[in-house]
Amino acid sequence: MDKPDHILIVDDDHEIRDLLSSYLRKIGFQVSAAANGRQMRTVLEEGPVDLVILDLMLPGEDGLVLCRELRAGKWRSVPVLMLTALDEETERIIGLEMGADDYVAKPFSSRELVARIRAVLRRTRMLPPSMKPLEVTQLLRFGDWQLDTTARHLLDADGTMVALSGAEYRLLRVFLDHPQRVLTRDQLLNLTQGRDTDQFDRSIDLLVSRLRQRLRDDARGQRYIKTLRSEGYIFTCTVEVCEGEA
Amino acid sequence: MRLPRSLFARLMLISLSGLAVAYALSFSVTFYERALATRSLMLGDMEQDVASSVALLDRLPASERGQWLARLERRTYSFMLGPGLPGAAPDAHLSELLAASIELSIGQHYQLTASAIPGLREHLQVHLRLSDGAPLTIDLRPRGLPVSPWLMPLLLLQLLLLALLSWWCVRLATRPLAELARAADALGPDLKAVRLPEDGPAEVARAATAFNAMQERIGTYMNERMHILAAISHDLQTPITRMRLRADLMDDGDQRDTLIRNLQEMEQLVREGVTYARTLHGATEQPRRIDPDALFDSLLCDYLDAAADVTLSGRIGAPMLLRPVALRRILVNLVDNALKYAGSAELVVESSDSVVTIRVLDRGLGIAPDKLETVFQPFYRLETSRNRDSGGTGLGLAIARQLAQAIDVRLSLANRPGGGLEARLILS
Repeated sequence: MDKPDHILIVDDDHEIRDLLSSYLRKIGFQVSAAANGRQMRTVLEEGPVDLVILDLMLPGEDGLVLCRELRAGKWRSVPVLMLTALDEETERIIGLEMGADDYVAKPFSSRELVARIRAVLRRTRMLPPSMKPLEVTQLLRFGDWQLDTTARHLLDADGTMVALSGAEYRLLRVFLDHPQRVLTRDQLLNLTQGRDTDQFDRSIDLLVSRLRQRLRDDARGQRYIKTLRSEGYIFTCTVEVCEGEA
Repeated sequence: MRLPRSLFARLMLISLSGLAVAYALSFSVTFYERALATRSLMLGDMEQDVASSVALLDRLPASERGQWLARLERRTYSFMLGPGLPGAAPDAHLSELLAASIELSIGQHYQLTASAIPGLREHLQVHLRLSDGAPLTIDLRPRGLPVSPWLMPLLLLQLLLLALLSWWCVRLATRPLAELARAADALGPDLKAVRLPEDGPAEVARAATAFNAMQERIGTYMNERMHILAAISHDLQTPITRMRLRADLMDDGDQRDTLIRNLQEMEQLVREGVTYARTLHGATEQPRRIDPDALFDSLLCDYLDAAADVTLSGRIGAPMLLRPVALRRILVNLVDNALKYAGSAELVVESSDSVVTIRVLDRGLGIAPDKLETVFQPFYRLETSRNRDSGGTGLGLAIARQLAQAIDVRLSLANRPGGGLEARLILS
């Protein structure tokens, strides 16, 4: 069996730190804990860390500052899972803008947190190495569309906002992260839903057809997503990262 | 008669009619006085003139009299040789005065008879016999004071000036009131205060200062209230998170499950408390062009993915200018409510004449008619809870209403014929 993933928890509340550490250890992770930025840097210097769980509300240097620092420095490829307060919208957006890979709002259940940790780890590992140090990407452009990855909606050529459901967004993100690569139904399910699948799960086909509808891509034209019989799907468009305004 | 409704019209009416009456009075007094003065002047002149003219004619030989007549003619009277026209005694005021005045000047030398000549204008003749017995008629056409042609335009101009000035003055008085009303209206649920300019006349400035101070006080109270709610909710996060983690570490069992369920309820309350506090603070979201059908459809898909019984019918078919985060949140709260109380929800969308109506329908038990408004109050829960184990926070509808107000959407509830509740959102 592989070496367990090393998770670093940065939170100023020692009870949460301890409880989370014991839970994650029980699940099978290797866990370190830090109460502030200084301790975080010490742990990072000591050895490789696979994922940082960063509390947004820290006294002194807060989570956003630390996240930006991680993104700018030599640990830029370490994925960050942000723990935010209750306000989903604004804090999620600033957190993601600062370069966090995902966020979990407090209070959270341990199970949900573990699911997110696994999803982030899987996502970052599947990315080709060249794409790993994700810059602060706000907009991904493909064909006539732009995807706003912080607000999680599409913009068409006129700038009209087209909303996406959670599952549609996750599926589109997977396609955009792996353009021009054949993705099997299993891979898609695994990447979008973070669960291992039954061999005959057709729910992904339904989701793909919904996404095509959202992209105004009819099944015959298949401008964006092509069906490869008995193999899966391939996203045919090129994807550009742009730093424009949302 | 009823006064017009608006203060502006009332003040205009009072000040203008007052001014017009005063103006007319003073004009007629002046006019009357002037007419009186000119008349006595005219009568005095005529007394002498008539006396000398009659004396002259009397002395002249009868054959020469005719030549002099034209010379003796004046603006208001002339002389005629002959008996003239018969008529009744003059009864008009001016004619009487004239007759009396001629009587006064030559009455002691001649026998006079005065007669009024009927006609459109006042006309009288005074008949007498000269000393040689020849008849003489003084033909009088009394005329009022001549009025210059520019008098009427001048009068109208003055009246116009008065009207303009009173309009200005009334506006000066009523405009601050209108601004005050507008500012009070603008102090909506978002509490973004519009400060009144504290200048202008002393009374207006004072009212504006008082209004601004009141606005600030209300703002402070609301902020405080929001702050307390947010702070309590926020500070509960850490202990709840600890308890959640602790519960997750516990061995499986009923106790653990109950604890987790209770914590989830607390968590929901805290979450909604923060959301409610934030919506009180007003919508910071900017309106943007969105595809409304994609919004409704993605919402539907999220519910379907969570295996909830939600349906969607109708479509808009055109982009709209909306605040999508707030609208989505409102819809989620309404649909969640329907799911909680009825187990299923129908989303019906329609647009006509630039008015978009979104209805969230359920087939639950509905709400007593007198409670349809009350349920929007924060932390209000129906006593005969439609579902005792629902664990609602009593904030869902309050948040929806608050957000709807902030983004100018009308939200109302109604019972459906055949049972169930209809939540209606009207976007115009």
